[in-house]
This record gives sequence, structure tokens and C-alpha cells, in this order.
Amino acid sequence: MNDASVKQPTYYEEVERKGYSRRDFMKFVSMMTAFIGLENSAIGDVAKALETKPRLPVIWLHFQECTCCSESFIRSSHPIVADILLDKISLDYTETLMAASGVQAEQAMKNTMTKYKGQYILCVEGSVPMAADGVYCMIGGKTSLQILEEAAEGAAAIIAWGSCASNGCVQAAKPNPTAATPIHKLVKGKPVIKVPGCPPIGEVMAGVIVHYLTFGRIPELDKLGRPKAFYSKRVHDSCYRRPFYDAGLFVESFDDENAKKGYCLYKVGCKGPSTYNACGVMKWNNGTSYPIQSGHPCIGCSEENYWDNGRLYERASSFAGFGIEATADNIGKAALAATGVAVAAHAIATNVRKKKLIFELEKEGQKSEKELES
Amino acid sequence: MSTKYLHVHKLRRVYVWEKPVRIYHWLNVVVLLALIITGFYIGNPLAQLSTKEASDRYTMGWFRYVHFVAAYIFFFNFLFRIYWGFVGNKYANWRQFVPFSKKFYKEMWYVIRMDILMLKGREHMSIGHNAMAGFTYFLTFLAFLVQCLTGFGLYAAMSTWWFPKLFAWVPSLFGGDIITRQIHHWAMWFFILFAIVHVYLVFYHDYVEGRGEMSSMGGGWKFIEEEVFERNHHQTPNPTKDTK
Amino acid sequence: MSKRIVVDPITRIEGHLRVEADIENGKIKDAYSSGTMVRLLEEILKGRDPKDAWAFVGRVCGVCTSIHSLTSVRCVEDALDIVVPPNAELVRNIMFCAQYIHDHVVHFYHLHAMDWVDVVNALKADSKKTSELAQSISKWPKSSVGYFSDIQTRVKKFVESGQLGIFANAYWGHPAYKLPAEVNLIGLAHYLEALEWQKEIVKVHAIFGGKNPHPNYLVGGMACAIGIDDVSGINAERLAYVGQLLKDGKDFVEQVYIPDLMAVASFYKDWGAIGSGLGNYLVYGDLPTNGYRDLSSYKFPAGAILNKDITKVYEVDLKKEDEVQEFITHSWYEYKEGKDKGLHPWKGESKINYTGPKPPFEHLDTTKEYSYLKTPRWKGHAMEVGPLARVLVGYARGREDFKAVVDKALKDLNIPITALFSTLGRTAARGLESTLVAEWGIEFYNQLLANIKNGDTRMAEMSKFDPATWPKQAMGVGHTEAPRGALAHWINIEDKKIANYQLVVPTTWNASPRDHKGQMSAYEAALIDTPVAIENQPLEILRTIHSFDPCMACSVH
Ligand code: HEM
Ligand code: HEM
Ligand code: NFV
Ligand code: SF4
Ligand code: SF4
Ligand code: F3S
Ligand SMILES: [Mg+2]
Repeated sequence: MNDASVKQPTYYEEVERKGYSRRDFMKFVSMMTAFIGLENSAIGDVAKALETKPRLPVIWLHFQECTCCSESFIRSSHPIVADILLDKISLDYTETLMAASGVQAEQAMKNTMTKYKGQYILCVEGSVPMAADGVYCMIGGKTSLQILEEAAEGAAAIIAWGSCASNGCVQAAKPNPTAATPIHKLVKGKPVIKVPGCPPIGEVMAGVIVHYLTFGRIPELDKLGRPKAFYSKRVHDSCYRRPFYDAGLFVESFDDENAKKGYCLYKVGCKGPSTYNACGVMKWNNGTSYPIQSGHPCIGCSEENYWDNGRLYERASSFAGFGIEATADNIGKAALAATGVAVAAHAIATNVRKKKLIFELEKEGQKSEKELES
Repeated sequence: MSTKYLHVHKLRRVYVWEKPVRIYHWLNVVVLLALIITGFYIGNPLAQLSTKEASDRYTMGWFRYVHFVAAYIFFFNFLFRIYWGFVGNKYANWRQFVPFSKKFYKEMWYVIRMDILMLKGREHMSIGHNAMAGFTYFLTFLAFLVQCLTGFGLYAAMSTWWFPKLFAWVPSLFGGDIITRQIHHWAMWFFILFAIVHVYLVFYHDYVEGRGEMSSMGGGWKFIEEEVFERNHHQTPNPTKDTK
Repeated sequence: MSKRIVVDPITRIEGHLRVEADIENGKIKDAYSSGTMVRLLEEILKGRDPKDAWAFVGRVCGVCTSIHSLTSVRCVEDALDIVVPPNAELVRNIMFCAQYIHDHVVHFYHLHAMDWVDVVNALKADSKKTSELAQSISKWPKSSVGYFSDIQTRVKKFVESGQLGIFANAYWGHPAYKLPAEVNLIGLAHYLEALEWQKEIVKVHAIFGGKNPHPNYLVGGMACAIGIDDVSGINAERLAYVGQLLKDGKDFVEQVYIPDLMAVASFYKDWGAIGSGLGNYLVYGDLPTNGYRDLSSYKFPAGAILNKDITKVYEVDLKKEDEVQEFITHSWYEYKEGKDKGLHPWKGESKINYTGPKPPFEHLDTTKEYSYLKTPRWKGHAMEVGPLARVLVGYARGREDFKAVVDKALKDLNIPITALFSTLGRTAARGLESTLVAEWGIEFYNQLLANIKNGDTRMAEMSKFDPATWPKQAMGVGHTEAPRGALAHWINIEDKKIANYQLVVPTTWNASPRDHKGQMSAYEAALIDTPVAIENQPLEILRTIHSFDPCMACSVH
């Protein structure tokens, strides 16, 4: 039962088939439009795009990862996953969900790569290990790099899901023993959309795909290659605990009185002020909560290198090689003491070593004084 | 009668620090103190014990506000000083800071021997700052630069004005805001340590040279021995500039 | 002569698993299981703050998300002698229960069902008959004729579109599919239904841990402070939300998952004699009701069963040097003391050394090293871990709650208890324990409410959070029953830093390569004698492998 070349229904046809009215369809479109931050005037374009396009072929590769990006993706509530899978995209390869295994799975990927050359979206979950000629991740006897290069070749665009694919995530933390490498460093000449987060929010993942479907081009990216729509603000900028931050009211220790009152988590290590993500606005699991709301500081999971940029519960990072408690301030204080001692020692030494000079200066002064009197 | 005073140095009054340099200096001292104090607070705010509502207070907000105001003053003051390095007097000139000549290095080595290793020799040689001091200020200027880049880089995300936005690329250069903030924090310690050593050395020079170093940043005047004046007069690093 | 076949990638699992099998006369004669991806998190953890370890190891897996984090905080708490407040224990238990039913339901419908349910055949079903059948096995309200016919139409159009997506190129029409079209349609409908449902139950994690996947944990308790008179923190609204989610979760398990499981199982009873495997079962135990240290208080009792003998349950001690050990004879690692030595995890090493063929390759050399998994053994025995092991140990320990669900299922299916030692038994056990766990989740929830009502609002024990309070050296072990089986982490803390951190994971037990004595682990053993009707279509292999619910990212880490 391979793909037959039957005419592909458009989104609108599919929505209609599912028994939704044109009004429902427009409602969905305007919600999606608002969601990806467009003017109302763009609603017409969005609707038109969804009405006329066939389902977008998608190949989703899995390398060094934990599959939580796939898990997060299936948590999306708008659009819901069943609708994405049945109506919006044609997910032709993903080891997590596809029915076929082994050669049949590999064949399914090949079919899409040839039939939809230049049209399919390549999603990558996980990093690529570059050490030892790539043997730290092998599928079907090939290395992940070989597979990535083959699949990237005919892709229209590449989406790097999660922190693994966009910055290497936990396996790239020091000493990065497998040389785990993010996707944008390996493919050249293709747009790579980074969707960092460990994992990214499900609706953000769905939103990135819907953006591409709607406009036929990738969303506007920031300097780090992330869609501006979801990564242009810090968690801190939309955090509901921000008034406590501004007021200077902080949780001093977990489960203290201030924690019960929902004060700001800055002093227990919150990385929200340095983390670009949509958590404060969109929240997780269809708006249920997000880390800070549950009382735990943001660990900065969408930031590059966040595993090595300091401990979870400290504001100041520790220095490699100095032990976990050697923060900048502790080292600074030690340096301050050392400087104090050095200055004092220098002052004493001056009085000893340069005694003659000082003595002469004093004598010169005394002499002048005397001469004034004389 | 004339022999009576011969052993006493003849001192010449030299106008080393022009008024703009002095104003720059003291403004710098004030805003840096403000930046360090507020920076410390931002980095590690105190626990507050009070029953007031969050909406009735703005402690962190104020500290940040002062930090940012001071940051702007600091930045433009710094820019001004760079400008003055091209138009100011010889002692303010950029060549005093950038180690560009062999002579500069020789003088630095000499200062190390005299002031740090405390060897004996000819004490008073320079009129403005010595080469070692100049070089330290050069490092300080680099630290100013790091602090402004990282500071405005972080501030870019909090501001809607185009000016801070010009620095939005900075965090991506270092690999994100977390590490940028850490660098900003670590760099603060350089200023603290610098200030201590710097103030001490001003005392030190005043003490062992007796040229009014302490007050020079007030009135602008230093008192230079006639011999030193003569020597400098005949071999100045930038003869086009005035050397009075 | 036997023929070597390769299935790689095995799909509908977590991660990268390769199976090579020798087939003779339509049956598997020999099998090799290989994990082909490694990240070396054990090396990355060295030198870090033990309090942060939960976040790192949490990223071992996003499918059994939260379970490694839980194991990690227990491990560090064991090392530092921290006892968490009862509320924290309860919240952890509730999150555990939510994770279980999520993981098991998703496994059944999205990872396993297509081994038994022929999606294309479902299109032939009569929706009226389907509706009647569905209503006869469950009171689930969404079983109208219209519901099934709508789904059928939707999938029909989908198939006609020619873009088959995840259903492309599979084994539809294979002779091993036995279900009537109507049961296939119920399976397909509930595949979509479960996809919708699964995103709800995990909201329990969002409430207590901020998000799912990868909720947050905390050494010493939980970060979700109870603030019943505050809008932030765990208050009446948040608690009511959790209560609702747990109830809805339980309804789905009882009214959808279990009836479907039983309906499908009744057509595949022959699989009660296939895939039996080792017959040795190992359980560490979990869900404390009187503190983690009181093993006798666990809802899941610990113990080991050897040679399918459920009249005797052995005690397990994770701290004893000669009980749990890991071998690397057939693994791509090196130990300082040589290839055939077994190491207790407190002395574990993770030095990688790939010796396999240079990719691209056709076959592994299975006489030498052939996997990134180490090979764990308990007192030298190869052990199976997972739902079946837990259900058997509970049953063998004479626990009433286990006996009730197991005996009822055996009676309904009219099969003997020995049929549980099988592919079918594993899949059934997963469902049976889900009903127990769904029920327990609500029990824990009620206890949490009662505690708060009685004025106990403590959620974290912070007196040993500061590394200054720690001893110079400490060792700990933390265990859980992860959805896929017995899981433990071992830590050595020196100078307030992690000196060594070792994970021995359920799928490592089950999917590992042979040991130094040539003994197979569970996957390989269970594949022996599995029939293969069409050599180049690995449907039956998938059934047995999927019955273990593989998670390779876990197994190698
Ligand atoms: C040279 C003097 C300066 C010193 C010593 C200083 C010091 C500090 C310190 C210690 C912090 C706290 C960092 C932490 O631990 O998270 C901080 C934060 C910050 N500083 Fe500075 N800073 C200086 C100049 C500047 C400048 C020129 C700017 C430019 C706008 C700036 C902008 C910021 C910003 C945006 C933050 C983060 C505040 C927040 O997120 O609320 N700083 N500074
Ligand atoms: C935060 C504290 C301070 C900072 C960051 C600082 C910084 C500087 C800098 C950058 C210069 C070079 C001036 C130029 O040529 O543009 C300088 C020079 C000077 N400063 Fe400060 N200063 C501080 C405090 C003080 C204090 C408290 C005094 C006096 C009591 C002082 C006295 C001087 C003098 C006399 C010079 C000329 C140095 C020389 O002859 O080499 N400074 N200072
Ligand atoms: N094996 C395994 Fe896990 C589980 N359950 C964890 O410990 O899957 Ni991701
Ligand atoms: S980015 Fe995080 S969530 Fe996604 S696969 Fe990697 S570890 Fe898992
Ligand atoms: S909790 Fe974190 S993100 Fe929220 S205001 Fe405080 S520091 Fe910012
Ligand atoms: S930890 Fe991650 S999920 Fe959001 S609040 Fe922070 S970016
Ligand atoms: Mg291990």
C-alpha cells in the first residue's frame, strides 16, 4: 500500500470533510493568525493558503535525543496533533510513530525524498555526534551524519527541534564526550529554523509548522536563528512574578513563607531574566502552568549552553576547576582580601625600602620650614 | 645666600589635568560607585522583611533604574573621554595609554622596578601619568568597553529605544544572556580591585614624590622638579602639543 | 540453514534499536539486540553539583519523563540522609501515577496497537456493528454509530489522498493480523482518541512540576509550595484541577484502555505461548506510603522471581556489591580490570570503545561487542524487569489488589496463569497495573488533601540544601519502578561534587547483549521461537519487542 498519486485535498477540503463549517474554518484561521502575530488584514491570505495547499510532506529524523520533543509535539492543543497528522502535514518518516520498521521504514523515507524533492520539510530531533567518525549514533547501519546529509539535500527547509538539535543540549555539556553537534553547524545552504527548549512548548512546535504551511516560507528569525514570534522576549518580561522582582521581594529558600506567597524566584537561581522563551505567555500543556508558576526557577532550558552556564540554584556561576562553590563573588572577595594585604605590605615595604628617599623629602621640607623662619 | 637653598628642589607648576579631564574623572568615580553598588544589589538583592504589599514598593526597580541611568552617564562620559584623547592636552592624549613605542615599554619596566620591586634609582620622571599607569588606564578602558557592550547587550532586550538595540548582537556573540551576564558580573571585580590599587597608588606617589599628586585631580596642577621639566622639554613624545 | 535478517530501525519505540535474527523454518533460532546511540551522560555528570543531577538525568528520556529525575533526587537524598516531608512524597507519588498511565496508554495505542490492529482493514468495518460491540464492552460514552462512521470516513479520505504519512509502507493485510474489522475500527478510533486524551493527564505534571515533558524536581522535596490562601502556589483550584485530571485518567483507563486490551487479547491468545523469554523477574518496588525508606510500605512490592517459580520471592539489596553488577563483554566499553569483570554501580565505569564495523555496514559482528548497552545481572542471573515482573511479584507476594485484577483478567480471557509468561502476558500486565496505579493516584491525592487539611503544609526539607552542611564523602542509591521496570541510580559524592554517577535502567536489563557467560538478556531470549510468517516483514518480531516497550535513550544514556 504505497502512496498512490491521487489528488491531494487541501486543508479547507479536509476541514469541510470533517464536518466543520466555513465559519469554523475562518475562526480557526483567525485564531492561528492572531497566534502567529499577524495583522487582521492577513486573515484572507491565511485562509487562502490553507484552502489551496496539499498536505506538506515531513521527514522527522531522530538522532542523539530523548524523544521529549516528539512527546511535546503530540501535546499540542491548537492545533491538536490528530488534526496535524491527518489534515495538515504528511508525516512520512518518524521512528517514534510510524507503522513500518526496518527496510519498509527506510523505503518510506526514500519515497518522500524522491517524490517530493525540494518540497518536504526536514525536522531534526537530536544532535549529531561527530567524534569517532559518527559511530555514536547509527541507524540502519549508517551514521546520523550520513542520514542527515542525504535527507537535507532535497529539503525545502530544516527545523531543528529542541535544544539538542539547535545547540547540542545535555549531551553537548562539558566535556561533550561524543562531540554532539547541532544541526546548523552541519548543513549548509538550507534555511535552518531553531526551535530551542528542552523540549519546546508543543504549541510553539505546531505554530512553527503552521506558519510555514500558511505562508509557504519560514517565519522571521532572530539573530540566533529562532522564530521571533516565540523567542523575542525573555521569560522574565512576561513573568507574572515580575512585580515581586521589581519590589525586591524574593523567595529566600524553597518552601519558605515567601515561596508560599509566590514571590520572585530570582534568588533561588531563576534564569528567567536571561532566557528567551514563550513560557510566561503561552505557558505549558495548553496553558496549565509553567516552571515558575509551579514554584521552580526557570533553568534556562531554551538557552544555548545552559548546562554549563552555572548551577541551577545559584545566580552566579561557579568557575570550572575551582570547585562548585567558587562563584565569581567568592573569588572576587578573595582577590579583594589579597589586594588589601598586598597594598598594606607595599605600604610597609615602601617605608622600609624607600626610607632614605622619604627621609630626604621630609628633611627638605623641614629645611624649607626652618629657612622660612630664619 | 644663593647656596643656602641649593639642596631644595625647584618646583614648577604644570597644568596636567584639564578641567574636562577632571570633570570626567570625578563623574566617572561617582557613576562607577553607583554602578558597583547597584550592580551588587542586582546580583544579590537583600532579603526584605516588611509587610508592605509588592505594589507599594519598587526596591529592585529603583536599583535597576539607578544602574541604568548611571550606565548611560558612564557610557557617554567614556565616549567624551575618548574624544578628549584626541583634542586634549598632551597628558590626556591617547598615546599616553596605548603602548605603541619601545620607549613606552621601557618606561613601564622602569616603573615596575621602582614602584613594585622597590629598587632604588631616579624617582621622579614623568609629568602626567607614568607609562605603567597609562597602560593600566588602557586596560581599564578595555574593561569599560566590555562592561558597556555586555551591559547594553543585556539592556537591549529591556528597551524599546534604538540605541540599546544597537547592542543586541552582543549576547549572541558570547552564546546567550546567561553567560553575558556572568561576564558583566565578573568584570565588576576588575573595577573594584582597580579602584583600591589606584587610590592607594595616588597616595603612594604623593608620599614618595611630594608633587601634590592627591590634589592634582582637583585643581589640575602638579609640581614638577625643574630637572624633570628640562628633560621632558627636550624629548617629548609628542612635540607638536604644548609642553608647558 | 538459517538466514540472518536485520530490523533497523525498529520503530514505534523510543530511540535506536537494531535487531538481528537468524530464522530457520519460519521461526527465530537466534537473536541479537543492539542499542546504537550513546550520549555518555554518566561522564558528563562528573564534577557537577549533586543537587543539579536530576535535571541532567531527566533528559535521559522524554518518554518516561520525570522518572529519572525522581530516581536522582532519591539517590542524592539517600547519600545526604535527607528525609522529605510527607506531602512531597505524596506529590511525587501522584506525578508517578500520572506518568504511568500516560506512558502505558500511549504505548498501547501509539506504539504497540498497530502490531495487532490492521488500520486499513478497519475501513471495511460496519459502523453500526462496531458501535454495538463497543457499547457491549464498555460504558464509555463516545461509542455512537456516528462517531465510528465519522472516523471511518475521515481515515478513508486520508487513505485516498495517497499521502499515508505514518501509516505508509506498513504490514497491512499481513496474515498474522487476526482482528475482525470492527475491532480494528475501535482500535483505530481509540488511537486518535488516546492521542487527544494523553495531553490532558500530563497536566498533573504541569501543576506540580511546571511542565511536561521534563517537569522539575527538587532535592529535599518539591518546589511547589502549598499556599492555600494565595493565588500562587498549590491552592484549592490547583488541587481540584489535579483531582479532576486523575479521575478522568482513571475513567479512560477503565473504560477505554482495558476493554480494548481485553478485546484485542481475546483474539490473540496464541501469543500467550510465544515470547516467554527468561522467566526471571526483578522488581525494586515503589510508591511508598510510609516514607521511601520503609520498603514494606510500598504499593509495588520489591522482590525477585527465578525460573517462573512464583511460590518463592527473593529479597533484593541494591547496596550489596555482589547483587547488581554490570558486564561489558559484548558492549562497546572498556573496564580498567578487563572485559569479563562485573562491576557494582558504585564502582561503575563508562569508558566508551567502539569496535564494531565502520558504517555504512550490513551486519554487526555479534560474536564480539555489538551494543552500547552494558549487561546488568542480579547475582549473575539475567532478569526481566517491567510491568509483568511487577504484577508477578505483587501476585506472588499474595497482595490482594494484584490478585483481584490478575485473576479477573485470567478468568475473562479464560487462560491459565502460565500464559502470563509471554508476549501477551507482558502487554496485559501493563494494562492491569495501569488500573491499580490509576486507583492509587486518587488515594494519594486524597491523602494529600487530608494532610493539608490537618495543617501540614511542608513541601521541602531544606536544612541540608547548602553544600556546606554535607560530609566530605557520601554514597547513595535511589530506586524507582519506572514504567519499563526497575530503575536505580548510584552516586558517589566527594568534596561536594559528583565523583561518580551510574544509572542501571530497565531497558538496559531487558535489551542488553549477552553476558560473559553467553547468557542472553530478555529481548533476545523472548525472540527465540517467535514465528516469522514473511521473512522480510518483521511484524511478529515487532510484537514481542514492543511487548517490552523499549526505550533505548534510557538504556544507554
Ligand atoms: C562599569 C560599571 C558596571 C558595573 C560594575 C556593573 C555591574 C553590574 C552587576 C554586578 C550586575 C548584576 C549581574 C548579575 O549578577 O546578574 C549588573 C547588571 C546589569 N547591568 Fe551593569 N554594571 C556596569 C555597567 C553597566 C552598563 C554600562 C550597562 C548598560 C546599560 C549595564 C547594564 C546592566 C544590565 C542591563 C544588567 C542586568 C539588570 C537586570 O537584568 O535587571 N551595566 N551590572
Ligand atoms: C572608582 C574610583 C576611581 C576610578 C575608576 C578612577 C579612574 C581613573 C582613571 C581612568 C584615570 C585616568 C584619567 C585620565 O587620564 O583620563 C584616573 C586618574 C587619576 N585619578 Fe582616579 N579613579 C578613581 C578614584 C580616584 C580617587 C579617589 C582619587 C584621588 C584621591 C583619584 C585620583 C586620580 C589621579 C590623581 C589621577 C591621575 C593619575 C596619574 O597621575 O597617573 N582617583 N583615575
Ligand atoms: N527503560 C526505560 Fe525509561 C522507563 N520506563 C527509564 O528508566 O523509558 Ni524512557
Ligand atoms: S531538546 Fe531536550 S527535550 Fe528535546 S530531545 Fe533534547 S533533551 Fe529531549
Ligand atoms: S521568577 Fe524569574 S522570571 Fe519571574 S520575575 Fe522572578 S526572576 Fe523574573
Ligand atoms: S526552564 Fe524552560 S520551560 Fe520555560 S520557564 Fe525556563 S525556558
Ligand atoms: Mg549506566
